[in-house]
Amino acid sequence: MTEVNNNHESFTTRIWRKTLDGVGVKLGFFWIGLLIFAAVFAPFLANSMPLLMSKNGVISAPVLEYLSVEDSWVLATFFLALIVFKLPFALGKRIGLFLVSSALAALLVIAFVKPPVLVIYDDFRSDNFTQVDWRIMPPVPYAPTDYLRDIGSKGLEAPLTSTGHTHWMGTEENGADVFSRMIHACRISLSIGLIASGIALFIGVIVGGLMGYFSGLVDMLGMRLVEIFEDIPTLFLLLTFVAFFGRSLYMMMVIIGITGWSGYARYVRQEFLKLRKQDYVQAAIASGLPLPSILFRHMLPNGVAPLLVAVSFGVAGAILSEATLSFLGLGVVDAPSWGQMLDQAVKSSTFNWWMAVFPGGAIFMTVFAYNLIGEAFRDAIDPQLSRKAGVN
Amino acid sequence: MLTYLLRRLLLMIPTLLGITVLVFTVMAMSPGGISAQTLIGGTDMKPQEKQALLNYYNKRYGLDKPAPVQYLRWLNNVSPIGFTTDETGKQGDFSFTKGMDLGTSFQYGRPVSEILAERIPITLLLNLVTIPFTYLIAIFVGMKSAANRGSTFDVGMGVSMLGLWSIPTMLAGVLLLGFFANVQHFQWFPTAGISSREAQDMAFLPYWDQTGFVRGFLLDRIWHLILPVICLSYGSFAALAKLTRTSILENLNSDYARTARAKGLSEQDVLWKHVFRNSLLPLITISAGLLPSLLAGSLIVENIFSINGMGQLAVEAVRGRDRELVLSITWISGFLTLIGYLVADFCYTIVDPRVNYD
Repeated sequence: MTEVNNNHESFTTRIWRKTLDGVGVKLGFFWIGLLIFAAVFAPFLANSMPLLMSKNGVISAPVLEYLSVEDSWVLATFFLALIVFKLPFALGKRIGLFLVSSALAALLVIAFVKPPVLVIYDDFRSDNFTQVDWRIMPPVPYAPTDYLRDIGSKGLEAPLTSTGHTHWMGTEENGADVFSRMIHACRISLSIGLIASGIALFIGVIVGGLMGYFSGLVDMLGMRLVEIFEDIPTLFLLLTFVAFFGRSLYMMMVIIGITGWSGYARYVRQEFLKLRKQDYVQAAIASGLPLPSILFRHMLPNGVAPLLVAVSFGVAGAILSEATLSFLGLGVVDAPSWGQMLDQAVKSSTFNWWMAVFPGGAIFMTVFAYNLIGEAFRDAIDPQLSRKAGVN
Repeated sequence: MLTYLLRRLLLMIPTLLGITVLVFTVMAMSPGGISAQTLIGGTDMKPQEKQALLNYYNKRYGLDKPAPVQYLRWLNNVSPIGFTTDETGKQGDFSFTKGMDLGTSFQYGRPVSEILAERIPITLLLNLVTIPFTYLIAIFVGMKSAANRGSTFDVGMGVSMLGLWSIPTMLAGVLLLGFFANVQHFQWFPTAGISSREAQDMAFLPYWDQTGFVRGFLLDRIWHLILPVICLSYGSFAALAKLTRTSILENLNSDYARTARAKGLSEQDVLWKHVFRNSLLPLITISAGLLPSLLAGSLIVENIFSINGMGQLAVEAVRGRDRELVLSITWISGFLTLIGYLVADFCYTIVDPRVNYD
């Protein structure tokens, strides 16, 4: 009897296994994981207030009292994501559940978390917080917007040269700790990368799907739209959008999203043009299924693989866009971001290498990680595709 | 060929119109509209002055009209054929020879065409120096990696090219500027501009006189361009090198390459005379996409190295919310991109006679 080699490995598992084969991609995932960890637990990693302290026998956690609405929501969604990921439902259901529950968490957090309006960091270095039985400080005992006026920070101190304090990555012009700012800036980069490319993907899939499915006139018009968005240098389009609208973080996500969808639309269109003549699609049409069902339930899952590659490169692009905008002084104003820190390095009268190397290095590492992951995905999904792909 | 060219040129018109409509809509939709945005800088003006300025703008650009009317009015001014308009904005007769009027920049108070004529050559110079440089390195690295497939050179280059591609231009620019054009470290290169002031009086080529060696205009220009060109080129040559490698590898394994080897040609001849020429096609396709990315790249590079080109102008224009300037820069860069695509398609037919668009 011949031995039948029954391979029960599903497509998804095989892709994952092949993707994770290389060393580079593991490092990439490790770096992204590190960033996610830093972004979620930023207030516990770098903050001026003690994590836990005991004063006159009363144990308190000042960090928790001062957690902002945003901090709490990020924490909540992180744990929600962990829980939902473990649930034994279908992927679509889990994503839906996650979205609903995180929206619910947002409402709850807005309703119940009321942090003190004013935070005076000097207080945490006064007797109230230092003359205690014992206390545990965060690994980096400086908040990102703590300018250390009371302890006479002169600003622009090179790493590990300031007397009396340890600044692993030095201080910036105003005297705040660069490492602490770096940790808190992870949040902006990661969230912009994911949400902006999510928005771009959403628009791209819908436009591209309709273009590919209907072809003909719809395709013609759609292609003009794609061309319009492609022919203006993206950065310039972004600049225009940002300059004429506000500069909030959410606005930036939307703007980077709506300027970056054309590549996805092209991918989906190409796939759908191929798929629309396939038998199973014809069968779906013949059985009278509604259009969204044909497009998204039957066709999309079969065309999703190359899209994953594009998304991975797209996230890198979105992170780079945010950094560039911040670098040109058109980014988010109130929170630290890597691009903005790099901008500070140029604007100051002297060149301070630590102000450029650390944030710039972080941008580079993140973009590199996503590119590595994208390449690995591409090679795993379609060895043919990897040959054709040029500049993404 | 001619009909194809004509069709492509005609298809450009809706795209260009779409680009301007898009940018105009963005500006018109912004809070307060264009008129409020342009007056943001005038907070220290007296009320009467402000009112006078507003009236002037309204009359000159029709800012008190609804946005679609404003757009049509702008379009009429810009397009080479249309209705003539006089100083007060009154509409005249339809004419085919009225010429293009890009308007006057709010910010600089000078005609946009004049400003652009100053700035575009600088950006073009930057890019025209960069492109051959990029291709030379890319082809060299790609060829060498493909010829020694699997060697240390190949693997090392593969990783380092992906690494280079991921380095943000701004990081490279800031570091180069900080380390190589700075008194604190090595002051080897100038910090700003594309030529120094004294170079204007120098002869074109380097020469010797009483004071010693004079570097001349050309050397001075090259000296200023080195850092910006490095910044602009490394990202593109990294991508191109990878592409060259895959394209050559594909051809190296093809039948005709084997035939050439079987005939007893040397490996060098196979590589350069047979394979290389056939591997050029994807490189040409990419060159079309290179132009917009270089334009965008020069936006950052020009800002870092304080070069007064299109990129810096673009940032200044959107910062100052200068409507005429923003619109003109947008459609011109869109136009350049479209022309780039067209030229690339045209080069295709030259390199590969099998490609025929008729």
